[in-house]
Amino acid sequence: MSLVLAADYRVPDFDHWWAALTDDLPRLPSLGAHHIVVYRSLEDASRVFVTIGFRERPPVDALLRSPVMFAWFDSAGVDELPPMFAGEVVEKFDLGASARSAREQGSGPAAAAETVIVAAIVPVGELDRLRARVHTAAGRIAASGVRRFWIYRALDDAAEVMILQEIATERQAEQWIRHPDAAAGFMAEAGVGAYPPLFVGRLVQALEVPGT
Amino acid sequence: MYICLCLGVTTITVQHAIDAGARSTKQVAEACGAGSVCGRCGHTIRTMIEAASADPPASKPPRLHRRWGRS
Repeated sequence: MSLVLAADYRVPDFDHWWAALTDDLPRLPSLGAHHIVVYRSLEDASRVFVTIGFRERPPVDALLRSPVMFAWFDSAGVDELPPMFAGEVVEKFDLGASARSAREQGSGPAAAAETVIVAAIVPVGELDRLRARVHTAAGRIAASGVRRFWIYRALDDAAEVMILQEIATERQAEQWIRHPDAAAGFMAEAGVGAYPPLFVGRLVQALEVPGT
Repeated sequence: MYICLCLGVTTITVQHAIDAGARSTKQVAEACGAGSVCGRCGHTIRTMIEAASADPPASKPPRLHRRWGRS
């Protein structure tokens, strides 16, 4: 069974962080990671959203406290450690033709350069109800410009999900956030307590971890 | 979500500590261990304490990105 870790945080110097990230890639196979997907916020250039995909499911506790994980934050100058989402994908709605090319990606939509990613880590109550609502509303969601709608279930909290939405244009993303379909009402839960505000950004790069 | 990476303490566990009366990072650490090792998750714990101390959710708008927030 696969595992995805995700974190939304700020980096003091994006270029330095990016260099540190790519330098650290050779160390990640020791954790079992096989790819990393990096998104950067449209409005706050220091804010990033990172997902790490694992083919197997190592013990999450051991993974999080591993020296490699801490060294990754340390080398990038990130002092305040962000909360980490740990989960597995449970739904992949690929709603547009452009989505097909990235179906192989295991840790989230690897969007085309012009598309926008809207990411939410939120509590949703009953996951099955959310999935049913999204199934019912798939046509409306697609008509709003949403190309991919992927749902991940948290391993530590049955009510918590991460949802990655790939939207065709920045304008459509803004419209979608301002006036979402009822099936996307979960976006209003973002930003409460430990949960990060909605992340709106673009793909920087999907990196394969060498040697995996 | 995992708040304390050192000990693998989750949002649920930290929230239980806050619901039980913890109102500082020290009290949360005493209750569940979160933040007791490297302390680098303290800002997240403080955010959760502040959220618990604020008005009930129904009376405040959700925190959304300022540009992308709802009209």
